[in-house]
Amino acid sequence: MTVFLFVPLIMAVGISCFNINIFLTDISFSGLSNYAQMFQDSRFLNALKNTFYFTFLEMPIHVALGLLVAVYVSKNTRFRKLLRSAFYLPTVCSMTAIGILWSFLLDPQIGLYTHYSSLIGLPSLGFLKDPVMAMPTVVLLTVWKNFGSTMIVLTGGILSISQSYYEAADIDGAGAVTQFFRVTLPMLVPTLGFCVITNTMANMQVFDQIYIMTQGGPLFKTETAVSYIYNVGFKTSPMDLGYASALAVVLSIIIGIFALTMNRYFLRKEAGEI
Amino acid sequence: MRRKRAIVPTVLAAGLLILVLHPFLWLILSTFKNESDIVQYPPTFFAGRYTFLQYIKVWESIPLLNFICNTVIYAGSVVVISSIVDSMAGYAFARIKFKFRNQLFVVILISMMIPSQVLMIPLFLEEHKLGILNSYAGLILPKAADAFGIFLMRAFFTSLPKELEEAARIDGLDEFRILFVIMFPLCIPGVLTCAVFNFVGNWNDLLYPLLMTSSAEMRTLSAGLAMFVGDRTIEYGPTLAASFISLVPLILIYIFGQKYFVQSFATAGIKG
Repeated sequence: MTVFLFVPLIMAVGISCFNINIFLTDISFSGLSNYAQMFQDSRFLNALKNTFYFTFLEMPIHVALGLLVAVYVSKNTRFRKLLRSAFYLPTVCSMTAIGILWSFLLDPQIGLYTHYSSLIGLPSLGFLKDPVMAMPTVVLLTVWKNFGSTMIVLTGGILSISQSYYEAADIDGAGAVTQFFRVTLPMLVPTLGFCVITNTMANMQVFDQIYIMTQGGPLFKTETAVSYIYNVGFKTSPMDLGYASALAVVLSIIIGIFALTMNRYFLRKEAGEI
Repeated sequence: MRRKRAIVPTVLAAGLLILVLHPFLWLILSTFKNESDIVQYPPTFFAGRYTFLQYIKVWESIPLLNFICNTVIYAGSVVVISSIVDSMAGYAFARIKFKFRNQLFVVILISMMIPSQVLMIPLFLEEHKLGILNSYAGLILPKAADAFGIFLMRAFFTSLPKELEEAARIDGLDEFRILFVIMFPLCIPGVLTCAVFNFVGNWNDLLYPLLMTSSAEMRTLSAGLAMFVGDRTIEYGPTLAASFISLVPLILIYIFGQKYFVQSFATAGIKG
């Protein structure tokens, strides 16, 4: 644990200060120049922009859908339990297989869903091959795959809300919508906060679906921070591990800032300060 | 009145159910289609005739058997080793008093927050120095203990009554016997929850095995499949068949171990 976690952690910061490539030749100390370099690296800034675009488009849709479905399936009837199991199924599957499956379904020529969309009168869509549509398509697929996990966590949260609140609201004559906004939602703040934060952190590290489905293309429109780090360090020469490590450190700091800010917000919300 | 209002959500939920299951059904059907039926235009959901050919071809076109073996060895041994290590560590943190116990536990909690990418490159270099890149040891060792597992197991051990181990200690059992004979059997649900979570995570992981292995013989299922898809060198039918084969074990585990999945997520929820 120490060897494989803390040694790398300290090394990560260390390596980022060196010029070092994958063959471990020509190692030289470079101070903070790797960090200075990234502010001029338009490809990194673009990757960062794509990561934010992905994260903050995916997260709201994902959590909202998860919440809506959780409210519906949180009653213990047989049909709703079946829905719970079914919606959770894609979460268990590997992104590799799911990515392959969806790139077939959305193929511009032979994709079944491309065909369906043209049947209902939409103009022929490029989906993953179209620079503007590629990222929203990846987002949709990610929501499809992952909303089940948020749904399960939120269902657990909803089921643990005491039934007496709803009975009291019923007596006061509150309808289903009012009950949702005045009882369910406020009681769910801690669980929702957990979902939003973990989801944001995971989204900022998005890699698998990009690697499988678009490889960062078309025109770098879907290249995310992690896929760029992978590219710099392991794929394109000169396999600059020092620079890749500096990028990874910066990405982690950004993720950390987001997580802490959100955490503080939800804690205050829970305490009723906002 | 009440019945009428329930119709709209039910229809929407059923629609969503179809949206979720439809791609899986298409995948299963398509693995039994001929190559020409998969690439035909316009594409169709059903095919005129079905064949078992793709499942035969897939073994010849990619080293699938290698991938499966690697994945089973990797995910399997990680599950066994980390279950043992995690429960020992969890037990120690829950029950045994030692110096710096609380500080050490905080360190473990913090380590859960660190994104894995920042560790990838140093880990890669470290394994290179140790000469265990592209080997089972290189894949398995870094995963031998994980913070989330220790955290979960500690919670399970803390919830057990203290009288149990006190009785065992009076009977003269040492700590290892207490853990494995008395406490461990009571924690089987906890261990299984951890194990299921762990197994699925490692089975599906892409970036990590992609970096730590370089030859096709050492690749796991997800890393190996990704490699062949990137190349676009093999036909569509075998690709789909291979994807489906890689999903089958997970779906089976899910069907039979559903309550453990739900439990692990419920626990994860409490943590937040």
